[in-house]
Amino acid sequence: MRAPDDKPKSRIGDVLLAVEDVSLAFGGVKAINGVSFDIRQGEIRAIIGPNGAGKTSMLNVINGFYHPQQGRITFKGRTRSRMRPYEAASGGIARTFQNVALFRGMSALDNIMAGRTLKMNVNFFWQLFRRGPAMREEIEHRRFVEEIIDFLKIQDIRRTPVGRLPYGLQKRVELGRALAMEPELLLLDEPMAGMNLEEKEDMSRYILDVNEYYGTTIALIEHDMGVVMDLSDRVVVLDHGEKIADGTPDEVKRNQAVIDAYLGVAH
Amino acid sequence: MVNTAVVHDTFPKLLERNARDFGARPSMRHKDLGIWQSWTWSEVRDIVRAYAVGLSRLGVKRGDTVAIVGSNRPKLYWSIVAVQMLGAVPVPVYADAVADELAFVLKHADVRFAAVEDQEQVDKIQSVMDRLPNLEWLVYDEPRGLRDYDHARLRSMEDVIADGRKALAADAKLGAWLDGEIAATKGSDPSIILYTSGTTGTSKGVVLSGERSIAAATDTVNFDHLDENDVALAYLPLAWVGDHYLNFAQGMVAGFCMACPENAETAMADLREIGPTFYFAPPRTLEALLTRVMIRMEDASAIKRKLFHYFIGVARQYGERILNGQSVPLTGRILYGVGNLLVYGPLKNVLGFSRVRTAYTAGEAIGPDLFAFYRSIGLNLKQLYGQTEAFLYVTCQPDGAIYSDTVGPAAPHVDIRIADNGEVLFKSPGMFTGYFRDEAKTAEVLTPDGYVKTGDAGFFDEKTGQLKIIDRAKDVGKLKDGTLFAPKYIENKLKFFPNIREAVAYGDGRDFVTVMLNIDLTAVGSWAERNNVAYASYQELAGHPLVYDMLEKNVAEVNRSLAADKMMAGAQIKRFLILHKELDADDGELTRTQKVRRGFVAERYAPLITALYDGSDAADISTEVTFEDGRKGVISARVKIRDMKVVPAAAMEKAA
Amino acid sequence: MDLLYKIFIDPFMQMGGAPDLLVQTLWEGLVSGMLYALIALGFVLIFKASGVFNFAQGIMVVFAALTLVGVYDLLRSAGVTPGWLAAYLALAIALGVMGILAFAVERVVLRPLVNQPDIILFMATFGLTYFLIGFGEFVFGGNPKRMIAGELNLPSGAVEFKMAGGFVAMQKIDIAAVLIVSVMVAGLSFFFQRTRIGRALRAVADSHKAALSVGISLEQIWVVVWFAAGIVALTTGIMWGARSEVSFSLQIIALKALPVLILGGFTSIPGAIVGGLIIGIGEKLGEFYWGPLLGSGIESWLAYFIALLFLLFRPQGLFGEKIIERI
Repeated sequence: MRAPDDKPKSRIGDVLLAVEDVSLAFGGVKAINGVSFDIRQGEIRAIIGPNGAGKTSMLNVINGFYHPQQGRITFKGRTRSRMRPYEAASGGIARTFQNVALFRGMSALDNIMAGRTLKMNVNFFWQLFRRGPAMREEIEHRRFVEEIIDFLKIQDIRRTPVGRLPYGLQKRVELGRALAMEPELLLLDEPMAGMNLEEKEDMSRYILDVNEYYGTTIALIEHDMGVVMDLSDRVVVLDHGEKIADGTPDEVKRNQAVIDAYLGVAH
Repeated sequence: MVNTAVVHDTFPKLLERNARDFGARPSMRHKDLGIWQSWTWSEVRDIVRAYAVGLSRLGVKRGDTVAIVGSNRPKLYWSIVAVQMLGAVPVPVYADAVADELAFVLKHADVRFAAVEDQEQVDKIQSVMDRLPNLEWLVYDEPRGLRDYDHARLRSMEDVIADGRKALAADAKLGAWLDGEIAATKGSDPSIILYTSGTTGTSKGVVLSGERSIAAATDTVNFDHLDENDVALAYLPLAWVGDHYLNFAQGMVAGFCMACPENAETAMADLREIGPTFYFAPPRTLEALLTRVMIRMEDASAIKRKLFHYFIGVARQYGERILNGQSVPLTGRILYGVGNLLVYGPLKNVLGFSRVRTAYTAGEAIGPDLFAFYRSIGLNLKQLYGQTEAFLYVTCQPDGAIYSDTVGPAAPHVDIRIADNGEVLFKSPGMFTGYFRDEAKTAEVLTPDGYVKTGDAGFFDEKTGQLKIIDRAKDVGKLKDGTLFAPKYIENKLKFFPNIREAVAYGDGRDFVTVMLNIDLTAVGSWAERNNVAYASYQELAGHPLVYDMLEKNVAEVNRSLAADKMMAGAQIKRFLILHKELDADDGELTRTQKVRRGFVAERYAPLITALYDGSDAADISTEVTFEDGRKGVISARVKIRDMKVVPAAAMEKAA
Repeated sequence: MDLLYKIFIDPFMQMGGAPDLLVQTLWEGLVSGMLYALIALGFVLIFKASGVFNFAQGIMVVFAALTLVGVYDLLRSAGVTPGWLAAYLALAIALGVMGILAFAVERVVLRPLVNQPDIILFMATFGLTYFLIGFGEFVFGGNPKRMIAGELNLPSGAVEFKMAGGFVAMQKIDIAAVLIVSVMVAGLSFFFQRTRIGRALRAVADSHKAALSVGISLEQIWVVVWFAAGIVALTTGIMWGARSEVSFSLQIIALKALPVLILGGFTSIPGAIVGGLIIGIGEKLGEFYWGPLLGSGIESWLAYFIALLFLLFRPQGLFGEKIIERI
């Protein structure tokens, strides 16, 4: 994470990531059909839509898990037609998953440390003997990770293997791992799924803090409308793989096409 | 031995002495960001002096009251001493107090400054700022989240300390001025005001003086042979008299090291890491620990279980006697030694008790089994009894004379008298100087010859010569037929069972005794898992017929035990019910120290009590509850009631 | 009764009666156990990091050995003096070849099949096996060859020492084998635990998705792992080849790895060692002391019998990862 931003309010800047006319198909099924939208620096962008609308596929395209048949992605000025996961990660995109993708056999601490992988630069041989630069770097990374653990209030589970943690805590650890990558763009796939009210409020607080305090741009997929309205600056709505609305939460809430889509009205 | 208080009669003076005599020894430890940070006495002295100067530059002066709000953090303890250095008076408040409680204390004590832990506390105070027109400055320890706040009246402790340091470095006379201030504070001046959580009525501010506090602490430090090599973990609320006495005051007097855990959830793990030599836990905590151990044992393999139970049996036979230094046959010692290697040692290690030389418990009655268990595995657990007005100790048990059903003989230099109505009265070296700004209540609680009325009923046991506490004096009542009804006595017997977390007994002025019970979710939940009993909520589990059966057995056993005592035989429990929700401090049903507010509970659950006495099988109840974030909701339930058979006293005598 | 005595008492009497023979048997069991472990290690490496059971591991052993010997012959015919210089040069080149093989496998086999189910990848290793067989035969010919043990400065001859009325003979090459395997295992464990690549390997083994999202390059990891497996295969080829000869029948040994993996767990390095030792020592003891009873040939089926028992009672093996689930 960069040092906490010193400019409080006008935090939304230029376009950080733009998706242009992207289409993605699996076999004969079109998951995404000619979708374009952008995400501005510093904003919280929600991607919503009924089930099967193509939201997760969209995230997968952005961070390189899926390669679209058509369309381009422009990230930090560079345009590509396909991105490899490694390029996305090293470019500053971090991600959480709908069903939580953690290293189940490792502790919460180790999982979050794994997020520092790309930041670890020291030579192989120093590492082998654990001397000098390797030790110093390890301590720096550990300190960084401990700040995140403190922020997410998960000190008491740092040594627990994550496979043993309840779902809500696993999601928090996953968020921690994504934060450890110091991302410029954070992709959250249904971060509130399966949480009770209290956990949702905690998670909302964390998301807002990450955005306010560190200036991280956030794109999130979410079903809880209340959360979406409260948290996001702008919303893009997908239905059956197509974009049907794009604007502020208020605009989108009143959009007829959106209402129809959620009510299941055929169109 | 010369009483320390004679020479160093305030805590700031003690700090200077410790920096001189134990300068390089650790004074404070805190687990932060995953590692244990440590400060020596010299370092602490320097930090606190800089802090005091910084505070004085913010306007704190002699006679001011300064609120201290938060959990156990080094900077908050240092706030206490820094404030004392200036001749002002610290007023600690519980970290989990809700805004209203906080506003009350801050207003009553008329604080102009507040030293708080973090954003949560700042938010709370700011939400009631309109009721506190005199509050000028808030200083905070943890900066997270406060960056964008308006800092017109807000400052971080780091900044205050840095400011003080700079000022001290720039002006040599400032140091001398501070020394002057420290010297000018007399031992009889107020050293701290501790607001007691009232089980009845509103909180009162107990004023303690430096010389008395230090005198009392010196006595107990000598009593338990504590010195600068000891280590204690400060995990109980900072605003509680016990923490101020056992950790802060004794720590200052003996020069030992106080350790602050990372946070409440990690406290148990931190306990293991620190390995304290002195330990205090309320009976509830000891119960919870034991329950967790037992549950883990139930899930272990058959061999481990057999081994465990066998050696616990051995401990039960010989353990306490070995601890008391009594004679034990050689075979016993050998078996115990093996048990120590295989069971007790590892067990104490896991609980963090390996190095504990002295452990105390107090606050409520402790189950004899629980007490015996810990002593039998080699933990030197003792009881003490006291209250905030005494600055804690009224009685404490010496090594070698430890019983589970008494609280000990009078503490050193403490004088105890029993009034005619059975109320316990005391005079002690540490006792308070009065209630803050409340002469009326102060006069009420003192007898004409200066003894404090504790409000507890008790008597000196003939066999042991130690004090036995029965109940709160005003709670001891009578049934319609004149039988003595001591609700706490009955409730404690019930709470000794792992399945029962809380119990409230009724019977004063009634025909018979009834109780309302709370199940212990950990123990009963674990039982449910092992016996394939499904439940979707606390309410469902609490209402389950099998659970009722289990608790019925417990109540029956209590009845048997009551029947054995001539005085209590008539007070056996005739009917009981299991409450659909846990009694909670946030709902006002318990105090912040987890004691039941009997009157309040009686009002709230009036429909249930009516049903208990009119013979109904079940009753409907709707209660308003407060969630952790402050919102309110309503919980309704139909609670079932069970009848109990009473054991005739005559039958017990025949059996005996 | 007599039968029970023969099975349960007599063998132990014999063991006690001639302790030098016991030690000899134990030693030989240890040696073959270590060598089984070595083969199993190759499987464990690849399975741990890519979840693929590499059917081609056996043929990789042969291929590596053949490459070593072939290159040595090539160097000699090119005029390099026979002896340790040529041998170690050949060794270096053989390592290089295994590296290239690792790259090639990653590019050609693994990358295109990255999202396919494990069974597809397993079938791909079948294909790799037959490719290496064909390719190997084409380049090196099908005749058995001699391992250049002496040129690599591996000791020969035996060490004898007297004990308990008899004597025990240990082949020096065996001693060297045990040492080399131990060093290799230590090195690999250290590598997995301590280095960044080792940690990345464990991450990849745990969850591909998570590893990708953290920026770990799966391709890089796989190349590293297959190269490591290649090094193990080369070592195995050298040690086994030195004790017999280098031929395509050597790949049969890979089959012995299966019981070792079942015993030790498919993902555990120490498991491979312990499993190997149990099988190796078990086989030799079984053959020597119980062989006369049950007819000889115990060596060929005992391993599988033990494996069967494990599958019935403890399928994850002694050290395999217990799946941590939250119910």
